[in-house]
Amino acid sequence: MSTQQSIKIENLVKEFGKGDSLLRVIDGASFTVNKGELIALIAPSGAGKTTLLMMIGCVINPTSGTIWLGDEKVYEDKWITHNSRKIRREKIGFIFQAHYLIPFLNVIENVTLVPQTNGVSEKQAKADAMKLLEYLDIADKAYSKPSALSGGQNQRVAIARALANNPQIILADEPTAALDSARALSVIQMLKKIATEQNVAIIMVTHDERMVQRCDKIMKIENKKIVFETVDVPS
Amino acid sequence: MINLAQKDISHTFGKFVVTAMGVGMLLGIVLIMIGVYRGLIVDATILVHDVSADIWVVQEDTLGPFAEASRIHEDLKNTLKTTQGIDKAEAMTFQNIQLYTNNKPLRVTAVGYDPFGEINPINAEHLIEGRTLKQSHYEVVVSSETGLKLNEKINLGRNQYTVVGITKKTVASSGDPLIYLSLKDAQEVQFSFSNATIRNDKARGNAQQSDLHLVNAIVCSVKKGYNIALVANDISQWKHLSTFTQDEQEEILIKNVVEKSSKQIGLFTVILVIVSTIIIGLIIYTMTLEKIKEISIMKLIGIPDSIIIKMIVQETVLLGFFAFVFGNIFSYFTYDKFPKRVILEVPDALMLFGVILVASVIASFVGVGKVVHADPTVAIGG
Ligand SMILES: Nc1ncnc2c1ncn2[C@@H]1O[C@H](COP(=O)(O)OP(=O)(O)OP(=O)(O)O)[C@@H](O)[C@H]1O
Ligand SMILES: [Mg+2]
Repeated sequence: MSTQQSIKIENLVKEFGKGDSLLRVIDGASFTVNKGELIALIAPSGAGKTTLLMMIGCVINPTSGTIWLGDEKVYEDKWITHNSRKIRREKIGFIFQAHYLIPFLNVIENVTLVPQTNGVSEKQAKADAMKLLEYLDIADKAYSKPSALSGGQNQRVAIARALANNPQIILADEPTAALDSARALSVIQMLKKIATEQNVAIIMVTHDERMVQRCDKIMKIENKKIVFETVDVPS
Repeated sequence: MINLAQKDISHTFGKFVVTAMGVGMLLGIVLIMIGVYRGLIVDATILVHDVSADIWVVQEDTLGPFAEASRIHEDLKNTLKTTQGIDKAEAMTFQNIQLYTNNKPLRVTAVGYDPFGEINPINAEHLIEGRTLKQSHYEVVVSSETGLKLNEKINLGRNQYTVVGITKKTVASSGDPLIYLSLKDAQEVQFSFSNATIRNDKARGNAQQSDLHLVNAIVCSVKKGYNIALVANDISQWKHLSTFTQDEQEEILIKNVVEKSSKQIGLFTVILVIVSTIIIGLIIYTMTLEKIKEISIMKLIGIPDSIIIKMIVQETVLLGFFAFVFGNIFSYFTYDKFPKRVILEVPDALMLFGVILVASVIASFVGVGKVVHADPTVAIGG
């Protein structure tokens, strides 16, 4: 087993429903994502992108197959880990299509909730969070509630939240959909930087060609299986 | 660690306060119910307390004069006075009568006593205006609950009486206000037959003389150094009379008069507490449902159930606590508006506090159940 491996999937199958309404969304996916790689996941709507990310994130149950996160085998036809939530809050950062911030917490509380749950002191968590918020150009809203922020501002807070627990894996489901192109580019640059500098594996669902160009590889769902393509960097 | 319950509550503070006030009113009613019960007990025994006799002597084999009718001869008081151990003895009457004030009927309990006797049933602490009786006729002291004013004239039987004193919060065990008359007046009101009755009885060949020397009880005080129970026992054995100590008389009153109402009020209180628990449970359930998306997100990003459950339970207990505070405020500002005596006691409030804490924790279970079963993928919905 390579120490470079961050996510390793073997023969992963996901079915929804039963009997006549049985729907096989993923049918024997196998792939490896290495540490430090920024992967663009591209597939048509309904192809199973979110489903795949949620299985990697230990949120929904696969039907069968094997999942490795880092050097820990977490799933083999059943969950091997008995605390998937601990894995999520310690190893994984999630960014969703919508921001999904907690409305009754202000920005900095939203960002520090998971690190504080992980045992980081409030002071340390706040200092780390302020750095992230500054980087994302939203530090001036640190003590506002999400309801007082625009969609794009909230999305940047959500990105800060996903990064706040120093995850080994970031699963991002169209993270830049709510951002203008300048901000979208700066987010992608930041993700790229985090991937290389902190050796984080990132799978990012995106439809935006300009985002794809910044990624290391393209992952596609074809015939319910995973295929990789290289990125064509325009000259 | 961030206190999620506190953050959530302050986010929707107004709503939380209004909800707590609503539940608080319910708890306030619970407190008042308990207060009514406490009031009933005090009311039931206030007359016995005010008379403050060591021994009540009544007709043989009766639980008189309050629980059963009792008639004994006024003269017995002189015999009793010479009995060993007895210090003072006075005859008294107790009867329900109907007054007409401003043409409205008013039920009162009349206490007849000898204004020149040694035992006065009017407690000086309860006399708020005027004086006690000073003449043997046509004066009356009334409880302020009758609505009568000082120097007002009232008709009783064939005579007119003047209000010379007002007492406060003096009622019989029935809750009817007390009035105090001289023993002679009271005997006339109670034992003299009207002219019509005398005529009718004569016509039936059954003429009776009005006996104006009957009373309902003789109250005695015991000399220092004598055992009250022994003295009472002597009297009942040798004089063929029933005797009760003050404690026994109170017990009879509380048992006979209050027991049923206490069961009624107790049941009411229990039902109200259960209703409050259900309402708190429902409120917490909807509060949890409103947050189900946030709960899903928290589960999704890896927050353990224990932290989320802590939030729900803390919110419920806080709701219970604030409701309890509002309940106390509510009951404090309304209790004296009730027509009957309501007594708020700290131990009762503390007991209710304990019950509400337990009830809130139980009520939070429905919310906790929702948390445990919340699906983290609801948040992302495809
Ligand atoms: N809980 C579920 N029950 C049944 N079917 C589901 C469920 N979740 C997803 N599906 C189905 O699985 C397929 C893949 O869904 P998924 O959400 O992964 O698509 P996606 O690639 O993320 O699409 P989009 O780009 O629109 O977000 C869809 O056909 C969807 O209807
Ligand atoms: Mg999707």
